[in-house]
Amino acid sequence: MSAREAILQRIRSAQAHAVVPEVERIIANPVRGPQPAPVADLVSRFIEQAQALSSQVLRVDARNEIPHTVAHYLAENSLGNHALCWPDFLELDWIAARIVVAAQPTSADDAVGITGAFCAIAETGTLMLLSGAHTPAATSLLPETHIAVLDSARIVATMEDAWDLLRRERGGLPRAVNFVSGPSRTADIEQTVTLGAHGPARVLIVLVG
Amino acid sequence: MRVGLFVTCLVDLMRPSIGFATLRLLAHAGCDVIVPEHQTCCGQPGYNAGDHTAARELAIKLALEFADCDYVVVPSGSCAGMIRVHYPTLFPDDSEPARRVRALAARTYELTDFLVNIAKLQDVPGRFTGNLTYHDSCSGLRELGVKQQPRALLAQLPDATLKEMAQCETCCGFGGAFSVKFDEISSRMADNKARHIHASGANTVVAGDLGCLLNIEGRLRRIGDQATRVLHIAEVLAGDEGQTS
Amino acid sequence: MKVASLKFQRNAGKSLNNKTLQSALKNIESRFVGARREAISHLDDFEAVRSRATTIRDQVLANLDQWLIRFEQEAQRRGAIVHWAETAEEANRIICDIARQYGVKKAVKSKSMVSEECGLNDALEAAGVQVVETDLGEYILQLAHEPPSHIVAPVLHKTKDEVSDLFAQHHHLPRKTGIAELCQEAREILRPHFIAADMGISGANFLIAETGSVLIVTNEGNGRLATTLPRVHVALTGIEKVVPTLEDATTLVRLLPRSATGQDITNYVSVLTGAKALDESDGPEHFHIVLLDNGRSKMLGTKLQAMLRCIRCGACMNHCPVYQNVGGHAYGWVYPGPMGSVLTPSFAGLAATLPLPNASTLCGACAVVCPVSIPLPDLLREVRHQQSLANLRPWRERKALAVWAWLALRPIWYARCAGLMSRVLAWLGGAKGRIGWLPGAWTRGRDLPAPAGQTFRDLYRKREKP
Repeated sequence: MSAREAILQRIRSAQAHAVVPEVERIIANPVRGPQPAPVADLVSRFIEQAQALSSQVLRVDARNEIPHTVAHYLAENSLGNHALCWPDFLELDWIAARIVVAAQPTSADDAVGITGAFCAIAETGTLMLLSGAHTPAATSLLPETHIAVLDSARIVATMEDAWDLLRRERGGLPRAVNFVSGPSRTADIEQTVTLGAHGPARVLIVLVG
Repeated sequence: MRVGLFVTCLVDLMRPSIGFATLRLLAHAGCDVIVPEHQTCCGQPGYNAGDHTAARELAIKLALEFADCDYVVVPSGSCAGMIRVHYPTLFPDDSEPARRVRALAARTYELTDFLVNIAKLQDVPGRFTGNLTYHDSCSGLRELGVKQQPRALLAQLPDATLKEMAQCETCCGFGGAFSVKFDEISSRMADNKARHIHASGANTVVAGDLGCLLNIEGRLRRIGDQATRVLHIAEVLAGDEGQTS
Repeated sequence: MKVASLKFQRNAGKSLNNKTLQSALKNIESRFVGARREAISHLDDFEAVRSRATTIRDQVLANLDQWLIRFEQEAQRRGAIVHWAETAEEANRIICDIARQYGVKKAVKSKSMVSEECGLNDALEAAGVQVVETDLGEYILQLAHEPPSHIVAPVLHKTKDEVSDLFAQHHHLPRKTGIAELCQEAREILRPHFIAADMGISGANFLIAETGSVLIVTNEGNGRLATTLPRVHVALTGIEKVVPTLEDATTLVRLLPRSATGQDITNYVSVLTGAKALDESDGPEHFHIVLLDNGRSKMLGTKLQAMLRCIRCGACMNHCPVYQNVGGHAYGWVYPGPMGSVLTPSFAGLAATLPLPNASTLCGACAVVCPVSIPLPDLLREVRHQQSLANLRPWRERKALAVWAWLALRPIWYARCAGLMSRVLAWLGGAKGRIGWLPGAWTRGRDLPAPAGQTFRDLYRKREKP
């Protein structure tokens, strides 16, 4: 008998009571747990929570302001003028902002990664990133600085709302869904929080609109 | 109302004054108190050591002895918790003894819980002058929800000031057999408790369980504190600690 | 990992007298306990979320076979390969085979207590695979050749200075003293390992049946790196970790970091489904999931079943006054504290773990904070009961209990003995009213306040019938 059969058989004999299988019904009708109280202004709630987790948030009115905002941020933090980005952002006028961007697989030496986000969650100030051919996961992971561009209309209240949005727009999950809430951190040594562990040490959210 | 006093084996042996203080409080609350003569132990030592047989037999014995009481009152959160919370789990079936034991469980109360929520005592008879701090014994607190009751009663003592210690809900390290099986850990836990008692500024520590009191007092004396008074809540509320009649 | 739980008493004693450890343990109260209290207060109704989480876990355990099959189907449909392992050895064998199949030379690991349970690192090293722990805490332990002392903060027992010494000795770089510098140094040392690794090994906080996904919560980002860069990803986890839907996983994620580290959410929550698509530039080409039983299914249908709800947050140990004083190593295996004292006997056997369930005052602080309402004191009592039924309790204890039970059921004899003891103790107490030495352990660390010399029952009888 295979391990699989042996384990399943042991489970079944322990569950001697007959339970009607409801697996598919439960999956078809997912139940939300208790939800946080609704907030009137999702954008300000998101900003507040993101900042509490040490993300920086800068607001711009339109997409064409992104390169200048990024340039200003990079200069202010002495982060150079090179960045990797998702291909979606190549169309912006980076030259005018004196930023050199490239959309290619991330290497260990890249200092800045610019990504979009599928949506964001106001409850915890969290970005939701989906992996894909044009949205590689490593861009938000390897560089020391992660800059995420987020459309303010894509801020939802809770993670449950984000799942609903994903099911509605994409039908299912991509290989990797990464929820990002601020720069990477560790508190392993003496339970003292230090920002910048293995992932980015800085997260900037450029909020559009 | 007819109230049976379950003295507990520890009070019977180690500090009878707590039993008499309890009698005085119950009488003061207008209860008609009986003290069944052949009571011994609730069975907790066996139950917590994994021996359910003796615990079951003692539960049946107790249910018989207190059969004609409206309430059973216990000056100990852990013994009251044993009867109220754990007896029913030892008798899940529908037999006659099981029904009797479950009925006993339902009408058993820890002393301060009974005085506040059943007897609705408004004027405790004791007198106490000075600062005291209260240690929340684990079983009373977490199995029976005894938290505000002792504080409400202490507040009825006009000259007593409650100075809460830090971590008043943290275990003192007694834990029955734990205190001798793991005496080093137990002593360290009692040390932590002693530190918080001292930091509170109170010169009297009060609790609702004699096991905790013996542990705390024993450690305080061993580390050289002969001054801090260690009293059962009944002794404070009845104001007759040390007297036996 | 070898089980050293029988030495609990001796190791706990050493821990109590280890000044460095005692100073490290002080962080539990100041960091974890306070942070959890604060984070829980951010939920509008913690008890409601907790009750829902408990229901979710119970729902899965009631039909665990079907949820596992549903998970397996969906994971396979998405291109993952699912393995089942009855024992730790079998899990190790499966993972070594995977490594051999893909010609793996180096594996990077994200923190996984299940892999500690299996002793996976040793097995892989023996199979010629270099294993690099990448969670900062686990990395420190790998350098120090020590087991974790906490399931969330594995290196809780070490101070900054000890880490400084360890890094200086292994990295051959100038000794750093600041925590931020030490973290930076570890980042720089470990980054090339991530890039060079052929295989990433992770655990799974949850398996999602709806989507066949593995959910991982991390803060450092090492979990993301280990599951994104290497061409093979192996997730090793227990069969009990499955939850039905994304919504259910979300409810549990609301509780896990709050209960564990007092964070509203961890920096990263990654939901990984299947292998990389052809057009993706990153992600593992091969995704293997190993489902480990190792004693879990035996707990189903028993009084210990509730233990399988556990989501490994560590709140029970953080709030346990015994753990707070002795730390995790004393418990002698991977899972310390209250949850470990229930799990370890089930996994490693009652006989090898005799002290564990008894090393608790049953104070109940653990049950109050458990995010899935596991009645830990009741389960500890149940393990004690199993020990008693198996006749594993020491001879002296059994005799003492037999004498106690005999007397307690015979009131006349009981009264005589109590009366005698009261007189003897009062005499021993003398004028001071306390006893400094008695046979047995009580007076090793404490005096015994002496009784007055007459029992309550004697005094009461005299009062009623003078």
